[in-house]
Order: sequence, then C-alpha cells, then structure tokens
Amino acid sequence: MSPAYAADPSAGQVHPAAWSPDGVPSAAREAVVASVGLIVLGLVGYGLTFDFHVANLHNGILALVNAAVGLYVLRQRPGHVLGRLFVAVGLVSGVMFFGRQYALHQPALPGADWFAWLSIWPVPIAMMLVGWAVLLFPTDRPLSARWRAAGLVMTGVALLLALSSALWPIEDNWASDGLSFPFSIGGAAAADRVFAVVLPAAYLSFIVLWAVAVAVRGRRAAPEEIHQLRWFAYAVIVVLGLMLAGLVVAGTPVLGQLATPLIPLAAGVAVLRYRLYDIDPIISRSVVIGVMATLIMLSYVAIVVGVGVLVPAPSPILPLLATAVVAIIFEPVRRRAQRLANRLVYGPRATPYEALAGLSAQLDAPPDDVLAGLCVTVARAVGATQVTLWVGDEDELRCAAAYPTEPSEAGSVALEDLRATDLGMTSPITRRGVLLGALVVSHPRGERIGPAERRLLGDLVGQAGLVIDYRARLHEVEEQTDELRRAARRVVTAQDEARRRLERDLHDGAQHRLVTLALELGGIAGHAASTGDATLQSRAEDARQHLLEATAELREMARGLHPAVLTNDGLAAAVANLADSAAIPVVLSVSVDRRLPREVEAAAYFVVAEALTNAARHSGAEEVRVTLDERDGSLTVEVADGGAGGATAATGGGLQGLSDRLAALGSRLVVDSPLGCGTVVRAVIGCG
Amino acid sequence: MLVADDAVLFREGLARVLADNGFDVVGQAGDGRALIELVRADPPDVIVLDLRMPPTFTAEGLEAAALIRGLAPDVGLLLLSQHVEVHHAMQLMTDFDRGVGYLLKDRVSDLAAFAGDIRRVAHGDVIIDPELVARLVAKRRRQDPLERLSTREKEVLALMAQGASNAALADTLHVSLKTVEGYVHTIFTKLDLMPDAREHRRVRAVLSFLRQQ
Repeated sequence: MSPAYAADPSAGQVHPAAWSPDGVPSAAREAVVASVGLIVLGLVGYGLTFDFHVANLHNGILALVNAAVGLYVLRQRPGHVLGRLFVAVGLVSGVMFFGRQYALHQPALPGADWFAWLSIWPVPIAMMLVGWAVLLFPTDRPLSARWRAAGLVMTGVALLLALSSALWPIEDNWASDGLSFPFSIGGAAAADRVFAVVLPAAYLSFIVLWAVAVAVRGRRAAPEEIHQLRWFAYAVIVVLGLMLAGLVVAGTPVLGQLATPLIPLAAGVAVLRYRLYDIDPIISRSVVIGVMATLIMLSYVAIVVGVGVLVPAPSPILPLLATAVVAIIFEPVRRRAQRLANRLVYGPRATPYEALAGLSAQLDAPPDDVLAGLCVTVARAVGATQVTLWVGDEDELRCAAAYPTEPSEAGSVALEDLRATDLGMTSPITRRGVLLGALVVSHPRGERIGPAERRLLGDLVGQAGLVIDYRARLHEVEEQTDELRRAARRVVTAQDEARRRLERDLHDGAQHRLVTLALELGGIAGHAASTGDATLQSRAEDARQHLLEATAELREMARGLHPAVLTNDGLAAAVANLADSAAIPVVLSVSVDRRLPREVEAAAYFVVAEALTNAARHSGAEEVRVTLDERDGSLTVEVADGGAGGATAATGGGLQGLSDRLAALGSRLVVDSPLGCGTVVRAVIGCG
Repeated sequence: MLVADDAVLFREGLARVLADNGFDVVGQAGDGRALIELVRADPPDVIVLDLRMPPTFTAEGLEAAALIRGLAPDVGLLLLSQHVEVHHAMQLMTDFDRGVGYLLKDRVSDLAAFAGDIRRVAHGDVIIDPELVARLVAKRRRQDPLERLSTREKEVLALMAQGASNAALADTLHVSLKTVEGYVHTIFTKLDLMPDAREHRRVRAVLSFLRQQ
C-alpha cells in the first residue's frame, strides 16, 4: 500500500449504503446444512480418536475446511454449485480420513483393509471435484462449451482411475503406508505397470488443465472476477510456496499438505466476502516480503560463502560486511519490490496513488474540465460503468460532469431523490460541513465496490469537494473581474467623453473667441493703416500675432486632449495625421475599413501616439512601422522600430496609462524590446 | 458673397470686416442647410464656410460644398477650419476641380491676404493652407527625395501644394513665367511626378507625394 493510498478515508465523506446479506435461510436448509456438517464432524472427530498420523492429517483438515466453507456458501447462496462441490470434497475427504485412521490403527481393527480401500480409491474422485471447482470458479459456470467438454473428459478419466484404483492397488499409498489390499482379482502386475505411468500422467494433466483454466479466466475476467481470482491465486501460490519450502528445507510435503485448506478457504472468501476483505494489500506485502527475504538471504549467503572462499578473512568480519551490504541495499530493493508488487496487484488499472496523482496533474485545467477528468478518474479507478457528478445544494443538484455518457435530462434533482434512484452508489460531497454536490457511481449488475476502491473513492470525492469549491470561487472572482473591467471601461469611456467635450468646448468657445478677437485686431490694424496711425497699427498687428500664437498653442492642446479628426474621421485618418507630424519616418499599414467603438479607436490611437513619441525620442531608429489590422472582431495595433531596444514600461511614463486604458478593454500592452534588436509595442483589442 | 459659420460672434465679425473691405456680403447662415437655401435663392460669387458645423460638428462644410457645387458650379468655395487636416485637403482636391480653398480660421485676421484668397477662389483658383503644406514639407523621410531639390525648387513645390498656378508662382517669386515653367518641369522630373496642367490635379499629386514615405 503506497503512502498516498493510506490517506484518511474519513476525509472523503463517503457514506455508501450498508452491505446487506441475503435473507434469512429457511429451516429445511438449515437442517440439511447442520446434518451434513455433523456427518463430516463425526467422521473427523471419530477418526481423531484413533492414533495421530501426520501423513493423514491434511485429509481431516481438508474435510473440515471444505465442508465448512461449502456449507457456509450454501447457507448464504442456496444452490451455489461451488458450495456443493466444496461440501462434496469435504465429505469425500472425511470418508478418506476416517478410513485411513481406522486402517492405520495398531493393533489392527476388524476389516482394516476394507477401510484402507475406502480411504484410497476415491482420491481421483476428490481430484475431479476439486477440478470442477477450479473450472467453475468464480462465476459458477465454465468459461465456454469447450471448457465444459474438458471438464467432462476429466470426469471420465477420474471415474476410470477411481474404478481401477478400486480393483487393483495402483496408488502408492498401499505400499508407503504399509496397507494391504482387501482382495485380488488377478492382472495386478499388468495394472501396476500401466498405471505407474498413467496415474501420475493423469494427475499432472489435471493440474495443467486447472492452471490453464485459471490463466485463461484471468485474462478474460471482468474487474470483479479478477478480484475473486486474486484471492484464489494468492492461496494457491502460498500453498505451493510452503510445499516447496518444506520439501527443500525439511524434505517433507507435510507443510504444503497442511496448508492446502487455505485454498478452499480463500475460494470461499472470494465467493462471498471478497468485497469486505481487500486482498490487494496482503498480496502486495507478501510479494515485497518474499522478494526481500529471498534477495537478502541470497546476498548474505553470497557474501559469507562466496567471498569467504576467495578471500580468507577473520570470521566475524564477513557476517558484519554482509550485514552492512544488506543494510545498504535494503531500501532501494524494498522500493523496487514495492513497485513490482504494485504492478502485480493493480495491473493495468491505475494504482490509487496514480489516480490521485493524475487528478492533481489536471488541476491546472479549467474547473469544469477538472470535474470531467474526475469522473474519468473515478470510473477507471474503481471500474465503474457510469460516474455522474452533481453540483448544487441539498434540494437542487445539477449534473456538472459525467463519464462515459452525459445524462439526457438537464434538470435539477434533490439529494434524497438521487439516493432513492437505483443509478448507483451516491456519495455526498461536502466541504467544511456544507453540501456541495454528490458523486453517483454505478457498477455492473448492481454490484458494489471493494474497500480499497472505497477508500480511493473517498479520496477522490474529497478532491471533488476542493474542485467544486475552487470552481465556485473562480466563478466569483471572474464575476468580480468582469465587474471591475466594466467599471474600468466606464471610467475610460467617461474620461474620453470628458476629453472630447473639453476639446469641443475649446473649439466652439475659446478658440472661436480668440480668432474673432484676432479678426477684430486685424480690422483695427487695417483701420489704423488707413488713418495713418502707424503706432496703433504696429501694436494691433503685434497683439494679433501673439493671439495667433496663443490659438496655435490651444489647437495643439486640444489635439492632445482628443483629436477631432479621431472623433470625426476615424482611426485611419487620425493615425495618418500622427504619421504626418511624427518626428521620425513612419511606414503606415492600415487595414481598418470601418468605424470601431470610440474607446477602441481612442486606445489604439493613443498606443500609436505614445509609441511613436517614444520611438522618436529613445530608439534612434531610422523608421517606424505602424500596423493597424482589424479582422475577426479584434484590432491588432503594432508599432515596431529597428532601434536600440531595451525599452521598458518605465521608459515612457505614458505606457502605464495606456496599460490601464487597454486593461479596461480587456486587452494588454505587450512591449517586446530586446537590447539592440528594436522595440515592438503591440496590443490586440477586441472590437466586436 | 455668403458667410456660413455656427459661431455667431465670429460670423458677424467676419461679415462686417469683409463688408468694410469692399465685399458685398449678401447673406449669413448658421449651418449647411440654411446656406444651401440661400444659394438656391440667389447664387453668390463666393462662399466662406466653416468645415465643422451643426448638427454633427464633423465635416458638414464639405458636404454642403459638394451640394452647392452641384447646384451652382461657378460659386467659389472657401472652407475654414480650426485645424487643417491632410485628408480633408486631399478629399477637396478629389471632389473639386477648381474654385476651392481650405484655410485655417486664423488666416481671417490678416485681412489683406484673406481678401486676396477669397478673390482667387472666386476666380476659380485652388488654395491650400500653408501650415498644412509646411507640416508635410517638414516631415522626415527615410530617403528624402526632397533632398534632390534645391532650396528654390522646394519653395516652388510648397507654393504649388498651396494651389498656386504658374502665373501666381511667377508673380509671387518675381520671375518670368518661362522660369517658373522651368522650375516646375525640373521638380516634376526630379520627383518622378506626372506633370498636369490642371491645378487641382497638380495640388493633389504634390500633396500625395508629400504625404508618402
């Protein structure tokens, strides 16, 4: 289990519906279950009152465990074929156990050889029953018609073997346990020769058949089945491992035989309770521990024995060295083993850590995409057929994201109604005690999810809470930003309007009065000339000249405020005027065919004016290119020179004002001015 | 003649001063529509009118001038403005082929010169404000073809841009008509311009030359 996986599931706020067992079993079924249980218990219990035989112990345990598991399964799921098979294996094992116990009793009891016979010939029958369990596990049905045929062939072979075993002492146990066959019908020598080969071959092919069946099923299985198979496979591997360890270390199969009941036990859990007990962490730990133990033991042995042979050293040094090496490699090896274990356990499915990491990686995306991504992540992580995310409050939830199919109805639904539907498991999403939404996860055939996935789901739901919260806040911020922008735009528009009015007032008021005065002064000068008053004429003429200088200044001032040509004739004419009076040669390229909104024209005009002034003042360039291009509802303004570069917004104080003006229009002033490579001032302004 | 301007004080003053200087001001108007009514009633020889008038205060003067040219083609039109713009001058040179002028309002205070301008426009000449021309001539260019011109030739070019005919050039510069024709030919050759005898065409060509890079 990775560390991220261990996050507190309570943070996830999952409240799945409680698991409900099947209905109460009927009295008749209880009676049958009880009597079969008693029979097996009696056989094993009575058998145990004889001597203790280690080699026969596994039969007894198998009888008890198989019967118990089978009966429990049947009690929960009447008619379950696997349950019946387990019970049958339990009964057969019980009979075999009892027969052997009886037969091995010292001194010999009456009819001991017949009891021995009873304990040996059903071996193939037991094998066949176990084989059927393997073929049917965990769905209660064979994989295909062909597999059913294989099972029938197996049955035929097993019956033939059992019959032969009942007629001749072909099993090893007769000799190994010192038992005697109760009768002789002749042909024993021939049978012995034939079955010395056929019997092991048949058993081996049985085991191969089962292994192939499990492997094929594992490849075709749905996620649910893989979960069940995992329990089963884990038990088989543990048993085989113990068998191998026992054979290698102590030279006896007893350890493995004694562990065999783990297999029916695991199978039973897989059939009934795999949802409640998550095997993934157990497998993962086992793999890690197994790999670690093997590697450490091997390195220890390699160092102590291998190096000891090559370099004779004082005895305490090598074990110390080995310990040190093991200490150093421990952590890296553990990490690799953990990764291996994760891959084995979680397979192609995202590990919980990966699921969460993948989700975190999406958090940069717009919140709605994150919610959609969350649905995908949940669906993949827990193997759901449909994941729907609802956002809203207790009474009004709306679908915000879904995977793989969007819901057809767009309406809202109350949380209670959502819980009441059979869509799937509903997990409310809360944050700081406030309901923000709900996650509905559907599984195939109404099945439910395992605890590991539930924990993961809890984490993901917790993330969903964060994302929904974030989305709401972002929405709020966006609205505020819009409002601010609208306000800024109003301010800029009002400012422009004020400037225009001022310009017009200057034009219609002060300028006219001054020009009229100049006209009067001109008249006075003319009059003085005609009357011969040279002094008056010259003074009037001087005053007139000064007045004209004043009007010229006023004219320039008015132009700086808000050029009338911009208001009256538009951006192209106004920018051409700027180019005409610029202190630097200007190459003008204008493709604007229509009048744009006033504030857009003003912003573009002032960008060009400011940039031209700066270029003339600081760039030292030979010419400036001014480009105005209006297309697809946006106006691009660009002023580029090939001068010194190195301009910053601070170079011209006017740039800040321009930035504010552009910001009010939702645009931005970009100044690109690498040292020695000229300056490009650009703004793209939306103009509808 | 007629005077049209929405600024009453200025209009009255102008009419009075013009009357004092021997012009027969037969009517005044506050906007383009009233002016056109006056023209319809009795076409004058020349009209002095403001470029920017009610109701929109943009370029009503130009529109009124175009209408009047349609009504009475022989009426001289002198447009006044608080500020002169190149594109207005170009438009005038495109729309009108003779008897048109475009001056800064300030010019009215130099009565002698202004009276002369009115008479020339009434006579059919073309006049462009010297400030506008000065602005274009002073303009910096990357490879300035004007550098190829002598000081005298530049002077001639500026006057040509203001609408001066060859005869007016000779008069202003105190040289013979022959000499003026020589200057004009040299300028047109040096600047790769097509010579055109018609004044408005010539003004337009020179203005657009001055405007380009």
